[in-house]
Amino acid sequence: MASLQLCESRLGMEPTRDLHGTLSDLLDRVLDKGLIINADIIITVSGIPLIAVNLRAAIAGMETMLEYGVMTDWDEKTRARERELKKGKVLLGAKS
Amino acid sequence: MSQNSKGRYVYCVAESGEKCSLGNIGLDNNEVYSISHHDLCAVVHNCPAEPYSSDEQETVRQWVIVHQKVVEAALNRFGTILPMAFDTIVQDTDEGSAEDNIRKWLAAERDKLKRKLDRVRDKEEYGIQISWEPKVIAAAISRTAPHIQELQAEISSKSKGLAYMYRQRLEKLLKQEVEREAERCFKDFYIRIKGCVSELKVERTKKQEDKQMLMNLSCLVPKGETGLLADELGKIDDMDGLSVHFTGPWPPYSFVKVD
Repeated sequence: MASLQLCESRLGMEPTRDLHGTLSDLLDRVLDKGLIINADIIITVSGIPLIAVNLRAAIAGMETMLEYGVMTDWDEKTRARERELKKGKVLLGAKS
Repeated sequence: MSQNSKGRYVYCVAESGEKCSLGNIGLDNNEVYSISHHDLCAVVHNCPAEPYSSDEQETVRQWVIVHQKVVEAALNRFGTILPMAFDTIVQDTDEGSAEDNIRKWLAAERDKLKRKLDRVRDKEEYGIQISWEPKVIAAAISRTAPHIQELQAEISSKSKGLAYMYRQRLEKLLKQEVEREAERCFKDFYIRIKGCVSELKVERTKKQEDKQMLMNLSCLVPKGETGLLADELGKIDDMDGLSVHFTGPWPPYSFVKVD
């Protein structure tokens, strides 16, 4: 009986698509990711592609989405990415 | 919005040469349609050549939700797509109209776009965020680690002043152990999850109010093959002090850039 219950509780996790529970995941993806057109045919602000530049200000206060944790950096890749992000932020801040 | 508007807001690139309308489902209820070049198309709506921007959080939120809904509609219609970042607007230039520019871009980037489409074909993106409560983990460690238990036992036999110093040492030791445990979990989970997915990407961790994010991952999984991953995440979620936030399927937002 006990083992049967154990089996039942071991069913895997269902991914969630519920909008309320995934809004910050959605914002992360739509504002920070996605394909970028690297060409002079898209609208830019002072040479920086517009993508999300204007939105960051509005969103920044909304959640802590731009404040990243300070856990130990485990792998080189994560650290490299973070350095890139910081550089990008300074640039955006200066021009917007 | 008229055909003569100077901008085209681009939602995604799709693997289809079909020229069609998806209806008035775009931002501000604009008509969404495809601009094609051979076997590729861009899914767009007509707009002025200026960015969507607002100080109203709710407005921005709604735009992002609509952007996502259009991308999903295109995904259902065309099968394989590359979602664009928000606010990607192609404009008229001296070389041609916005529409011409999109066609030229599709032609010039065709090989690259095709390779990117191949990468995500028949796959779906999922988000995995694993968090833990450091207090729960620390409590578990202090129950089981011998050198910490020894130290705890010693404290009770010490004078007030000494006990204070010992407690400080204990705290420092415990902190180190929690860090070590975090590193161990990170490696262990990474390897286990990697075995269940086609591609795995480590994202930046984010601040949380009540707990600490241990890892933030995006992965690509073949359609209909999430079973192994779901089992593995279920086991992690069942662990003391750990919780898993598992979202998706998403369009492949995290897997469209060249690495």
